Amino acid sequence: MKKKKFNVMPWVFNTPYILYSMIFLFLPLIWAFWLSMTDWNLMSPNYNFVKLQNFAELFTDKKVTAAFWNTLRYLVPIVILCFILGVGIALMVSKLPSRLKGFAAVMFFIPYLTSGVSTSVMVKYLFSYNSALSTFLREKLNLNVNWLQSEWAFYILVIMIVWKMAGYYALFVLSGIESISEDVYEAGMLDGCVGIKKLFYITLPMITPTLTSVIVLAAGLSFQIFSEPFLLTGGGPLMSTTTWQLEIYNASFVRFRSGYGAAMAIACAIQTFVVIQLITWIMNKINRKFGW
Amino acid sequence: MKRKKIKVSTVVISIATIALMLISLFPYYYMVLQSFLPWNMVDKTMVPKSISLDSYIYLLGGKNSGSSDMFQWIRALLNSFIVSIPTAVVSVLTGLMTGYAAVHMKYRGKGVIYSTLLFQMFFPVIILLVPRYMLIRPLANSYLGMMLPLIISIWGIFMYINYFKTVPAVVFEAAKIDGASDFKILMKIALPSTKSISIIVFLSVFMTRWNELMWDMLVAPDLKMQTLNVMISTQFNQNSTLPGPMYAASVVLTLPVIILFLCFSKYFKEGINFMLK
Repeated sequence: MKKKKFNVMPWVFNTPYILYSMIFLFLPLIWAFWLSMTDWNLMSPNYNFVKLQNFAELFTDKKVTAAFWNTLRYLVPIVILCFILGVGIALMVSKLPSRLKGFAAVMFFIPYLTSGVSTSVMVKYLFSYNSALSTFLREKLNLNVNWLQSEWAFYILVIMIVWKMAGYYALFVLSGIESISEDVYEAGMLDGCVGIKKLFYITLPMITPTLTSVIVLAAGLSFQIFSEPFLLTGGGPLMSTTTWQLEIYNASFVRFRSGYGAAMAIACAIQTFVVIQLITWIMNKINRKFGW
Repeated sequence: MKRKKIKVSTVVISIATIALMLISLFPYYYMVLQSFLPWNMVDKTMVPKSISLDSYIYLLGGKNSGSSDMFQWIRALLNSFIVSIPTAVVSVLTGLMTGYAAVHMKYRGKGVIYSTLLFQMFFPVIILLVPRYMLIRPLANSYLGMMLPLIISIWGIFMYINYFKTVPAVVFEAAKIDGASDFKILMKIALPSTKSISIIVFLSVFMTRWNELMWDMLVAPDLKMQTLNVMISTQFNQNSTLPGPMYAASVVLTLPVIILFLCFSKYFKEGINFMLK
């Protein structure tokens, strides 16, 4: 009897979420697919249905091609550096005396909290023509470069992003390392597993699930880059630093081709999906090798 | 003998860690330093010879500010708080409710809700940008318009789900047998037990909202409604001739989040384990 009674409370608890996802997820999602097939310009009430023309144009658009390849160009150094630094910092912090440990972890975590705008302000002035750093590089090292308009811009952005995220990932790796029981190391020691061997045969294999998450999260980052190129390079020079987010923003709200922007966003989502799936698949294979 | 050896390696690692830490924190030193320099020295030195409050006075609407709106920076800071705090509070409450329902309640359609949650967790939000903008346009330049599309954190809901999965159902069932209503259980038993999760969700959502750039730029371009993040980014692109105040504004932008996190950093150890599951 009692089981058949309809329980209203779960639905009360879910109401805010359901309302939110109806209004701000599913409705816009359908709308986005509709928009991507129109030539709507953000303002005018009139627009034409152009079918798949927008998607066809994507393939010939240099900006889209640049965003596509740049995402992969960002992805490789960001993932590698975040991984190395994340694991490195975590290992170093885990070896610290326990009184310092918490403090050090928090200090490395702080850059994660900083707005991309603050760092961009700093980097822009730091590399401006008359700054101490530029003057020093110009006069002492004879490097007369307009840093943010040169091929260096890409690497500056990569460093900014890695600086921001490495300590955050280190926190995950650290909590993974701390969860390895001391017994495992002792057992390994009896089998002659010491020093650097311990790292590669015990520590890292024991935390591959955590490392997988770090790699997948870091890979996802390269699809989210916006403030740094928006404020520092505008995607230049020669579109070498442009990203999906920036190009979608520009197409939709600067050049007022919102229908086309929506089509671009769908292309971006497809690339995100394929790349993340691919990385997850590879990482799962590695995980299985270590018996996870 | 052996003891000494361990100590040496600990010292070496400690020194290396501190060195890396200093490199990682150097940008903050630089930012704070530049914000306190006289304007003719900004970006010209790494070691201060004299200190000046000009940049902060400028932000407070004092001399040389040259703006028609004296309090624009203060208002921008307030706007940031006005937008971020309710978003964080709502994210905590909805996360608690949705997470509790998803784990500890039995009802038809639970699977569907869980699937849509998972779908959203990994959904690239960029697709929704243009349609969301169209939806919100009637609310342009209002706090409501800035807040609504970002007011629920799917990530936050998953934090609660991961947490509740570790709490045995018996805890809540016992209360139910005693006749407590679901709502009472949620507020009296679930909420207090999730203290560290709630703090983490609150802070993370607050931080994400505080640092949001693209959405706030689109929805609230009006000078009176701009958040501090947006105001810095528009001002420093337009007139890059005044680095000092921009550094000072960046310090003001960065400080609240760091202070909040440092105050509650002890809860993080407990909560970090729920982040990756």
